[in-house]
Amino acid sequence: MRRAALVALIVLAVAWPRLASSYLVFLASLVLVNAIVAIGLNLLSGYTHQLSFGHAGFLAIGAYTTALLGLHAGGLPAPLALLGAGVVTATVGVALGLPCLRLEGLYLTMATLAFGFVVTEAILNLDALTHGADGLRVPAARLGPWALTTDAARYYLVVAVAALLVVAALNLARMRVGRALLAIRESEIAAQASGVPVATWKTLAFALSAFYTGVAGGLFAWLIGTLSPDAFDVFLSVDFVVMIIVGGLGSVPGSIVGAAVVTLLNDVLAGFQNYRPLIFGSVLIGCMLFMPGGIASVWRRQTAP
Amino acid sequence: MKTWIAGLIVVVAALGIAGAPFAAAEPGVTDAEIVLGCSNSFSGPLAFTGEQATRFGVDLYFRAINDAGGINGRKVRTVYYDDGYKPQDAAANTKKLVEQDKIFAVIAPQGTPPVVATLDYLEENKVPLLFPFQGSPVTRGKKYVFSGMTLYDRQSRMMIDYLVGERKYKTFAVLYQDDEYGKAFLTAFEKDLGRHRLKLTATEPVKRGATDVSAQIAKLQAAKPQVTFLVLTPGPGAQALKERQKIGWTDTVMVSSGPLTDERYLALAADAAEDVEGLSLWPDPLTSDLTGVRQYREAMQKYFPKNEPNRYSLSGYFAALLFAEGAKRAGKGLTRDGVIAGLESIKGWESGILPPITIGPDHETQKQGFWVKVEKTRFKALTDWLKSE
Repeated sequence: MRRAALVALIVLAVAWPRLASSYLVFLASLVLVNAIVAIGLNLLSGYTHQLSFGHAGFLAIGAYTTALLGLHAGGLPAPLALLGAGVVTATVGVALGLPCLRLEGLYLTMATLAFGFVVTEAILNLDALTHGADGLRVPAARLGPWALTTDAARYYLVVAVAALLVVAALNLARMRVGRALLAIRESEIAAQASGVPVATWKTLAFALSAFYTGVAGGLFAWLIGTLSPDAFDVFLSVDFVVMIIVGGLGSVPGSIVGAAVVTLLNDVLAGFQNYRPLIFGSVLIGCMLFMPGGIASVWRRQTAP
Repeated sequence: MKTWIAGLIVVVAALGIAGAPFAAAEPGVTDAEIVLGCSNSFSGPLAFTGEQATRFGVDLYFRAINDAGGINGRKVRTVYYDDGYKPQDAAANTKKLVEQDKIFAVIAPQGTPPVVATLDYLEENKVPLLFPFQGSPVTRGKKYVFSGMTLYDRQSRMMIDYLVGERKYKTFAVLYQDDEYGKAFLTAFEKDLGRHRLKLTATEPVKRGATDVSAQIAKLQAAKPQVTFLVLTPGPGAQALKERQKIGWTDTVMVSSGPLTDERYLALAADAAEDVEGLSLWPDPLTSDLTGVRQYREAMQKYFPKNEPNRYSLSGYFAALLFAEGAKRAGKGLTRDGVIAGLESIKGWESGILPPITIGPDHETQKQGFWVKVEKTRFKALTDWLKSE
């Protein structure tokens, strides 16, 4: 049964560019990119209960790194460029994680919120590098001799990277890291008492979360083709938090579903013009009221024996 | 294991063959209808201008012309999506407009970042991008793009030529927003002053989002320029004017630039905005006696009596008027290339709103403005239309 569902999913994913218009292919790519961010955010928030309102900042760092690698190290293969974006973002994540470890709850959230603003300001002020509010043209992703210039080509790259990162995230939960993070989530004091180095793992969670988001940023840059600080405002960070809360804290499939719900809702509601924020907010309040544990918990309850 | 892999390959291959795309007739046009649309700001920082330009501007003209029988018998329908000034949402919305709503052309989208995110896609798919509400010259040199607003470098040329040529000023300073909008004007001012063998006396940047500009104003006053340009957004613009009034700096002519030159924004500075001068791109929507502006006001009174006339809805109304002219020239067999050719053929055309319009192969629809001065919170015209050719 599960294998059949998996096969159906793979067939659908592979055949999607043949079935759907390029707009829906683009939208599917955007859903997957957001899903990667949501999984990354969930590694931080779901497992260690550190809520971040600064992930648009990480996304921006990954996106600009990829764009700059493309401009100044032309011909770099896409996987290397993404790795570069991930590593740079993770480094920033560690740098942010170290001081933030001393903060908890609301104060940590405040710090991440400020981080998001710092990143947009930095983009505006480093205009020799980023062209400020002017925006940056992103050269197409390259795989050896090919440039990925169509929506379908970019989509397949996104699918491959997303699949890799989903599998990694699923396995992470079963590894030493995942168990340590879960222990921290349940009780920091108990975890520390059982010999889990809380500070180290929390920093690692921050780095890992930033890495995922940085890679997503790279894919985002190629997908949109132009970058400007307007793309990464604080509301995008809020959207990411909404994705994991609607999907379910600490659940990888929940992150994906949450990302899909928020991205598609955002897109469908674009037609309502001025009423978009109003309807969007109402739907979310409804979700919170009727599915407090997110979609993942409803699913678990439905399928439980 | 092997069987399901084989099955997978067969299914994928079958889908590949079945899904081959097919060509259709001209998108967005039937015998009864033309569909246009855009992604615009209905939320976010530019929501007011976005809504005015589209629902109360573009739609205003199309409602009027639809009630009068349409364009060559076809009624115009519009579709709008909100992007909240986010480039990624503008990209998604525009693809949706082209592929799902099958629009004929994009009309009057807003803001440089969202418009730039859709430029290449529209050009590749040969979808006309008509009259975007933005002033950066990035839209130049595209086959399917026609600019809307008078581009910033042209605005600068008209301002400098008038101030140096007619008013004989020699020393200039700039207080500018430290971003693309501010710098676009700054470099254009330097270049245009260079043609008159002049230089900027002082320049002071204002960071985006800053609210206090007193230090910059003090420095500019010390440089004693005859003319001080304000290239700012409404908030800091009003701050700068109030600060100048506070320190009693009167021996300079304050000149506002770009979209700041609007009564609605200058009014934020109350009486500190008195005597501010600038280049207005549109005739006064409330008081102008031009036939086109009168028709605009009458239409507004008829269809949206609660909405006060303003320059944004007027610019949207003009965009729709210009499209209609291009589509009429394209004739009964309306195609995208036909509209492009129709618009390119416009020479010395009277719109009743702006001076005679000539659109050449450069695809710039607006190249003019006139000099105004604030007197008791309204603009008073000091010149006739200035040209930038």
